[in-house]
Amino acid sequence: MKKIIKILIFLSFLLGFSGLAYLQERSEEGLVIPNEEIGAPEIVYNKPVKGVLFSHKYHVGELGLSCESCHPKLFEMQALKAQENPDFNMNALYQGKYCGACHDGKMAFASNTKCATCHIGVKGLKRLEKEMKTGKK
Amino acid sequence: MIKRWFKEFKNLGNEEIEKIPDEERREFLKIGLIITGVFAGGSLLSVVSKVAEGLATPEELKNNYPYKPHYSMVFKIDLCIDCERCVEACNLTNQVPDYGWRTMILERYSSKAVDQKRIFLPILCNHCNHPPCVIACPTKATIKDSQTGIVKMVSYKCIGCKTCMTACPYNARYFNEERHAVDKCDFCWEKRLSKGITPTACVEACPAGVRIFGDLSDPLSEVYRLVHQLGKPVWVLKPETGAKPNVFYTIS
Ligand code: HEC
Ligand code: HEC
Ligand code: HEC
Repeated sequence: MKKIIKILIFLSFLLGFSGLAYLQERSEEGLVIPNEEIGAPEIVYNKPVKGVLFSHKYHVGELGLSCESCHPKLFEMQALKAQENPDFNMNALYQGKYCGACHDGKMAFASNTKCATCHIGVKGLKRLEKEMKTGKK
Repeated sequence: MIKRWFKEFKNLGNEEIEKIPDEERREFLKIGLIITGVFAGGSLLSVVSKVAEGLATPEELKNNYPYKPHYSMVFKIDLCIDCERCVEACNLTNQVPDYGWRTMILERYSSKAVDQKRIFLPILCNHCNHPPCVIACPTKATIKDSQTGIVKMVSYKCIGCKTCMTACPYNARYFNEERHAVDKCDFCWEKRLSKGITPTACVEACPAGVRIFGDLSDPLSEVYRLVHQLGKPVWVLKPETGAKPNVFYTIS
């Protein structure tokens, strides 16, 4: 019995640590902040550059865009997937891929304008990280 | 002291131009300047200046620059995305500890702004023609290089009195505990320029083309072209101090 408990404790430690490591790794890659109201998260990309925000809350909640306007043609329903593609960059956006499908200066502001709107930067990233940890807005 | 400044820089909340006292505004208006922004608890103002006014011929202008090369940096600030690759590259190149800085990105955000609500402002030492820090240093531990115009530290002469830190209008200096000396941007002179490597580490690292580095006394250089054109506003930070900075700001 004692042995089993010991093993259990050991296992839970292991799980705990790997969980932590996983979280940290994710935070390097980017942020995924769940939003229950919308049912889809706020996402901060860190690759290739740190601090690009995509907000479901804004695009779905405020603008009322349908899921189909982005899924699955422009984006898979998997957060931070796009940044694994080597062409997830400004040039692709300028050519109408990813966010650039809408951010073309017609449907929404063009991708070569208002840089600090999509890019919240390292400062924005750190603010959101903190909000996430402290659980407050 | 370091902590206080650092705090100031870290607390870059929503700063509004409206918070500037009226007298200060009037002072600026008197000398023909308009305040366009506030950063770092009001300790840094950006002001539209008259750099481009009184444009002379390139030949005449060239003679205005006392150094050769006259190193200068121009920022196209609308392109800055605060990815901070510049900061990372600088820290790595110049062994800047995590409590220090040679360059940093300030942020201004206003929920009331029309359209774009956020802008980033990169800063570093302005390598002033009349550097208040050099004038203030009691031991000549910080000098204005007579050839390049770069404001440098002579670390072994530094007694850590931090007078230069107070004197600098741009808060571009910090005290390096390991070196027991104040440290600051030297346009990568020690680690790169003096070895024939150009441009500076931060310029090389910037993925957005925000930073342009070059010789302001060379009419063929990009910095010269950017500073002496009329089509876009060009300004410096805190022109009222009379320090004559060599770091300029413009838009793309
Ligand atoms: C304006 C575009 C856009 C719209 C509209 C949109 N999404 Fe997304 N969605 C994205 C992007 C971008 C991602 C991240 C994909 C990536 O990083 O590769 C994403 C990811 C997701 C994910 C994955 C989240 C995770 O944690 O892995 C879910 C779930 C999702 N969306 C659901 C929805 C639903 C439900 C709707 C409709 C109510 C919707 N989305 C509408 C752009 C959109
Ligand atoms: C299906 C079309 C569509 C796609 C795809 C899309 N957006 Fe948007 N986005 C819009 C529209 C429409 C607006 C609002 C119009 C405007 O501001 O010009 C908007 C506005 C924004 C804003 C401004 C938000 C604010 O608070 O003002 C940001 C930031 C933004 N999008 C980021 C992104 C990013 C990042 C991506 C890609 C990951 C993306 N968008 C993909 C349609 C889209
Ligand atoms: C519509 C949203 C949006 C706007 C507007 C935008 N970006 Fe981006 N940017 C992205 C996304 C998405 C990525 C890829 C994800 C990442 O790097 O985190 C990206 C990546 C980048 C990169 C790294 C990849 C590359 O292309 O080199 C740079 C540099 C960059 N942006 C600069 C800019 C500048 C400068 C502007 C303004 C002229 C700008 N961006 C405007 C969304 C935007």
